[in-house]
Amino acid sequence: MQNNALMKIRDISKEYQMGEVKVKALQDVSFDIQEGEFVVILGPSGSGKSTLLNIIGGMDTPDNGKVFLRDLEITKFNDKKLTKYRREKIGFVFQFYNLMANLTAKENVELATEICKDSLDVNQVLEDVGLSDRKNHFPSQMSGGEQQRVAIARAVAKNPLLLLCDEPTGALDYKTGISILSLLNRVNKQYGKTVVVITHNAAIANMADKVVRMRSGKIIKIEHNDSPVAPERIEW
Amino acid sequence: MKKLNLRLFRLLKNSKGQFIAVTAVIIIGLLIYTSMNMAHINLKSTVNYYYDKTNFSDIFVQVSKIPKKEVDKLNKLPQINKAEGRIVYDVPLKVDKGREKVKVRVISIPENNQVNSLYMIEGQGIENKNKDVLVLEQFTKARGLNIEDNIVPQMGGKQYSLNIKGIVASPEYVYLMENEQTLLPQPDKFGVIYISEELAMDSMGFTNSYNEVVVKVNQGTDVEEVKEILENRLDKFGVKRIYTKDEQLSNRMITEEIEGLKKTSSSVPLVFLFVAAVIIAVILSRMVKNDRTSIGVLKALGYKNSDIILHYMKYSILIGLVGSIFGITLGILLSGYMTKMYIQFFNIPMLRVKFYYSYMISAIFISVLFCMTAGLWGTRKILKIVPAESMRPEPPKSGTRIFLEKIGVIWDRLSFSWKMVFRNIFRNKKRFIFISFGIALTFSVIFLPLNSMDAIVSIFYDHYGEFQTMDYNITFTKPLNERVLTDIKNIVDVEKIEPKIEYPFRITNGHREKVVNIIGLKENTSFYNFNNIKDQKINLPSSGIILSEGLANYLDVKVGDMVKIENFIPEKEDIYIEVKDIVRQSLGINGYMNIDYMRDKLTDEEMITGVYLDSDDRVKIKLDDAKQISSIQSLQDMREVFNEFLDLTIYSISITVLFGGILGFAIIYTSTSLGISERRLEFSSLRVMGFSKNDIYNLITRENIFMTILGILLGIPLGKYMIVFLEKNFSTEIYTLYIKTSLLTYVETILLTIFFIVLAQLATFKKINKLDFIEALKSRIT
Repeated sequence: MQNNALMKIRDISKEYQMGEVKVKALQDVSFDIQEGEFVVILGPSGSGKSTLLNIIGGMDTPDNGKVFLRDLEITKFNDKKLTKYRREKIGFVFQFYNLMANLTAKENVELATEICKDSLDVNQVLEDVGLSDRKNHFPSQMSGGEQQRVAIARAVAKNPLLLLCDEPTGALDYKTGISILSLLNRVNKQYGKTVVVITHNAAIANMADKVVRMRSGKIIKIEHNDSPVAPERIEW
Repeated sequence: MKKLNLRLFRLLKNSKGQFIAVTAVIIIGLLIYTSMNMAHINLKSTVNYYYDKTNFSDIFVQVSKIPKKEVDKLNKLPQINKAEGRIVYDVPLKVDKGREKVKVRVISIPENNQVNSLYMIEGQGIENKNKDVLVLEQFTKARGLNIEDNIVPQMGGKQYSLNIKGIVASPEYVYLMENEQTLLPQPDKFGVIYISEELAMDSMGFTNSYNEVVVKVNQGTDVEEVKEILENRLDKFGVKRIYTKDEQLSNRMITEEIEGLKKTSSSVPLVFLFVAAVIIAVILSRMVKNDRTSIGVLKALGYKNSDIILHYMKYSILIGLVGSIFGITLGILLSGYMTKMYIQFFNIPMLRVKFYYSYMISAIFISVLFCMTAGLWGTRKILKIVPAESMRPEPPKSGTRIFLEKIGVIWDRLSFSWKMVFRNIFRNKKRFIFISFGIALTFSVIFLPLNSMDAIVSIFYDHYGEFQTMDYNITFTKPLNERVLTDIKNIVDVEKIEPKIEYPFRITNGHREKVVNIIGLKENTSFYNFNNIKDQKINLPSSGIILSEGLANYLDVKVGDMVKIENFIPEKEDIYIEVKDIVRQSLGINGYMNIDYMRDKLTDEEMITGVYLDSDDRVKIKLDDAKQISSIQSLQDMREVFNEFLDLTIYSISITVLFGGILGFAIIYTSTSLGISERRLEFSSLRVMGFSKNDIYNLITRENIFMTILGILLGIPLGKYMIVFLEKNFSTEIYTLYIKTSLLTYVETILLTIFFIVLAQLATFKKINKLDFIEALKSRIT
């Protein structure tokens, strides 16, 4: 383990009890995430990519295997430490945005920053995601794309080490999807944040520095992309 | 404001109906708690203060005659702080309107009155010992008497015109009642007046002697011990009755009222707080369930479990605090009003109102404790929510067949909508049980006050009309020979007449003893209907004694036991008599004997102390001048007084019913509106499928009808159980509750229950009207 990767994922396995059937969500998954990288985890639904993301983000724990944040083994963390880890190091973006319905855009972002030590300026972040004139609207008054921007702002404003995005464009139309991707790209480049996006949309992989392809709970291929495409030029 | 608090605040704004409903239940609980506790303690301390200031006596001894110097000797006893002799007589008062029979109790006061001293409300003390009189305030008010007015009591057969010099209050008559049998004060018919010792001695033929001794014992002395000493010492003066402060009628009435307040204040609020706590727990657990994803997001953002639990707990704590503030404030206001009302009702000329912070603090503490417990219970599942899992949609509920479907005979006949109703009910058993139980509770909370109304009515009508059936109950000023019956028959046209002996005796069983009136009646008396405790009709036995249930319970005797009867008539022996039966008597406690047996064992041959009679004649007017008659009690008068009293009671009962209704409303409203917000998806799907709003109302209405029926069926035994509790706990020596619920009460309770349910349901229909079904189907997060 003499590399200086930001995250090291080693031999992760996880089984689920779904009703009456056992699902092997992950089997011996290992890979690294370098600081500042834009990683896309690609796979069809049910391939275990969400589970992987949840484990990396400290929302779930594996049955076997280890996850390191630099030298810290987060798979050894107890509940309290995991909460602290999520609070300070991780920013989540969900497929269905998951904003609090009765808080405005700005308040939703503040909900996240209130509990962080080194958070960014909320107004600035909202401006960066292009919502400075919508910040006092409630989620129900915003389009899906706008809501996802709020969600990204919420994740970014925490100033996390790692931005984890679970199908961020899954619920959006093409054009909005592209704008969200380009926003994520900008977050990656402008703020220097490490971004992990999981998706089943192969086209999105083109913009990644690294692509992790998964199927049936296993990594089938890890690709390095030396010349990522700008999101605006992606088509599907 | 912290964003989580902001979220809570907006959540509250969106469901203020529920918040208000639960808070109202807490408010009522604490309102009752603070007002009754404070009224209780203020009344108690006021009474004690009053007793203290006026030196209320500890022991009362009624004797035939005791010389002045013997009373002076009592004052040398080390246990006795002060003993005072006085002359007490109930005499007729001459009034302008000839037909009215007014009686006053004449009490002599010594020059330097120390025991039971009078509180001067208006005017001054006696100056002219032969002319001046002091009159009890209640009596002056009821009869419109003023200072310098004249009153004409007939003392020792002679009329005296006396001048009212002062209007007074006395610790002995805070509750002015002639005797135990009166039930209600009639201050215009019975009053108390105070005259100088000299005038009393002259007019009533007591030269340097008295017929009553009042005693204040030294502090720290055992009253019972002194009572025994006095009994022995004064035996030779013909002790008629000796009783302590605890047994004194007025004091007993007020003590019972104070105790009643205390009982109510410590039981009723708990019911309300408990219900509120259950509602809060349900609301919160539903909220947590619905907010599963939001809670997951909060956890993902790095919020601690404790942060999130606290977030939801704040809801319950807020209810507790808002409820406390309003409940306590209103309670304090009400307690002031209640205390004043009581003080006025009981004629206490002073008021000791203190502000008891301890009740405020304990009220807040209790309510927050209930709310916190409810909050913890309701939010306990937050711990189990795993953020990653909460993001996944919940697996659909297993849609197994319900029990009813297995009974083909019934199931096949149900229409589709009814099938849906039953499936909903059986698949949400918890909610179903909660609502049904809530309805049951509502039913019983309404049932209870309506029944106490029944009870009050029946106490009275059972006693006057069922138990005693005479039109007139006439009591003589002193025992007379039975021949007087003929004289009465000559004056008034009587249908039926029977002699009676009513005389106080002390009945003792082991360590328990009680001074009560034993009533001697003719063998086959037609004026009394005795029913034993199994409610079977019995006849007055020719020998032995029968006791009223309250007395039997007090003495702890059973049928067949022998009780000792101590005689206050001089030169009569104490005897043992067998208890032949125990009978129901709702008002007062007494023993009953065959009049011949009683004369043989306890009193003199041919002696009677009064008569019972039935007559259509104008008895009161015709017998008005009869010197030897001390009182004529007519059934008609009693009923009139009672109806007046009943009007007052209806008021307080309506308030209790209203409280019960609010309780029911809160339960039904919160549970139905929770149900609706939980079933938004279901209703929206139905709407999309083409169900109209009315169809959905019908669906809910049918569910509620089913639960209402079940709730009421559950409520009837619950209510009955509460009544048994009420009978046991609220029966006193003076009255015994026998609650017979009338059919009308059942109907009234059911109608009122349904009324409150319908009200709650109408309030929730607004929510369905506002339901935006497309939005509901789209959004999946709160």
